[in-house]
Amino acid sequence: MIAPNDAATSAATIELNHAARWYGNVVAVNDISFSLGPGVTGLLGPNGAGKTTLLHMLAGFLAPSAGDVKVLGRRPHLDPAVYRQIGLVPEREAVYPFMTGRDYVRFNARLQGLPNADEAARQAISAVGLEDAMDRAVGTYSKGMRQRVKVAGALVHDPQVLLLDEPFNGMDPRQRLAMMELLGRMADAGKTILFSSHILEEVERVGSEILVIVAGRLAASGDFRAIRALMTDRPHTVTIRSSDDRRLATALMGDPAVFAVELRSDSLAVRTAHLSVLRLLLAGASRKAGVRLLEVIPADESLESVFEYLVRR
Amino acid sequence: MTAIPHSTSVSLIPDITLVTLRQLLGRRRAVLLLLLSAVPVLIALLYRAAGADKVDGFAGGVLEVLCLNLILPIIAVLFGTAAFGAEIEDGTIVYLMAKPVARWAIVAAKLLAAISLTVILAAGSVVISSAIAIVHLEDRGLSAMEVYTTAMVVGSICYVALFVALSLFTQRALLIGFGYVLIWEGALSNLLPGIANLSIRQYAIGAGQIFYDLAPERARLEPEAAVPLAVIVVVAATVLATRRLMRLEISGETD
Repeated sequence: MIAPNDAATSAATIELNHAARWYGNVVAVNDISFSLGPGVTGLLGPNGAGKTTLLHMLAGFLAPSAGDVKVLGRRPHLDPAVYRQIGLVPEREAVYPFMTGRDYVRFNARLQGLPNADEAARQAISAVGLEDAMDRAVGTYSKGMRQRVKVAGALVHDPQVLLLDEPFNGMDPRQRLAMMELLGRMADAGKTILFSSHILEEVERVGSEILVIVAGRLAASGDFRAIRALMTDRPHTVTIRSSDDRRLATALMGDPAVFAVELRSDSLAVRTAHLSVLRLLLAGASRKAGVRLLEVIPADESLESVFEYLVRR
Repeated sequence: MTAIPHSTSVSLIPDITLVTLRQLLGRRRAVLLLLLSAVPVLIALLYRAAGADKVDGFAGGVLEVLCLNLILPIIAVLFGTAAFGAEIEDGTIVYLMAKPVARWAIVAAKLLAAISLTVILAAGSVVISSAIAIVHLEDRGLSAMEVYTTAMVVGSICYVALFVALSLFTQRALLIGFGYVLIWEGALSNLLPGIANLSIRQYAIGAGQIFYDLAPERARLEPEAAVPLAVIVVVAATVLATRRLMRLEISGETD
């Protein structure tokens, strides 16, 4: 559950209160406040938005330059004992290449002080479905396998909070689905899981709650469907070239799906909130007006433009 | 803030030491250092084959100039700066840092690994080459081996402690480390004798005189001064490294 305001909820396991982090003159995370409880939350944002900085602040690797960051009521950058309850999957691929998968997960279990590191490692490896490769050196693993062994190392001590930085990178669709199911099961067991991604569809499939971060700021937070609706219903600009732009503009003006029409020297710019409606409308209106459509170019549909729109709101 | 029990952290030092050893030995530079430490052994074989029988000549030239002044600091700076440096560089440091392990225990494990390798290569080189070239000659031969072996062990501990700490403060630890060895200890200490008080090389050779007063003209510090100074360097470097590790910041690759 996300509480995107200053007040932390009683069930909050992760709390940020006006947290900021800058490097010299560069602000990586800018005045972010939210609190999270158990469940899967996606941290969505374009590359360079500050997702990794935010996760590293939560993991205690970066002290906040301003504000406060708490995990389970403790400040992780000052308190290594909190790592008993935190599992971290970093974005960087590096895993000790000379270790086997089993060695690596057992090493993590040992450092967590688990009494039966062998058994804990076996269970974690089984959870990520890597039993067949566990006695091979990690250096021989594919990118997807390396991601999975990192996840096994992070959850070997059954942490309350799991932080994952771009965990689906390099996984094939089947591995991705299995990992999504695993995160879902952990969330059902009451764990707080925060994972970052720059891919909308990944977040859509796993997290019902999302945080959208753009240029270091929290652009949106809450239920995925509501934010998705905001993203799809945003105004789009479509550029059209036709045999008679002026006549086509007249034909489109009357429709409620069209917000604005701008006649340019060699094209027509149409603004709408409903791309699909506009497509149908264009076909009918051009036929009725006897205008031939030469080119229809939707404006920038990149994720970055979606994020920019959310920031402006 | 919850304290981590010291007993838990102590019990994990061997695990972290073993991983660090494998990291240090897995790098190509470990092979180069092994070859480097074999150079005095080769010279000793030639020395013996040529029928040379001067203890002081071998001790002053090979054991002191080659082993103590050159090979030891090169091995120590490369292992010392890589103990943390390699992990920081490739990102695996996060797996150590995200654990409920006292930071002093991580520093202790890194020191243990880097010092062990440095002692084995540097002091091992002195022991083997002395055994080949001079131990059979007279009592002074055995004495020279003991002096320089002691110096190599003390020097290994001090240099590695210094370079491990340095690697947590700067990414240019290797460059600064070589600068310290070549410029400060190599060139300046000959021009300004007072620098001996701030020279690990002098602490090492001074400590080597504990057993035999073998090279008084080269050792500028008495053992009574050299040993405490060496201890101060090791303790100070370890404390600084631990404090630095407690505040070590790891930023992401992407943002």
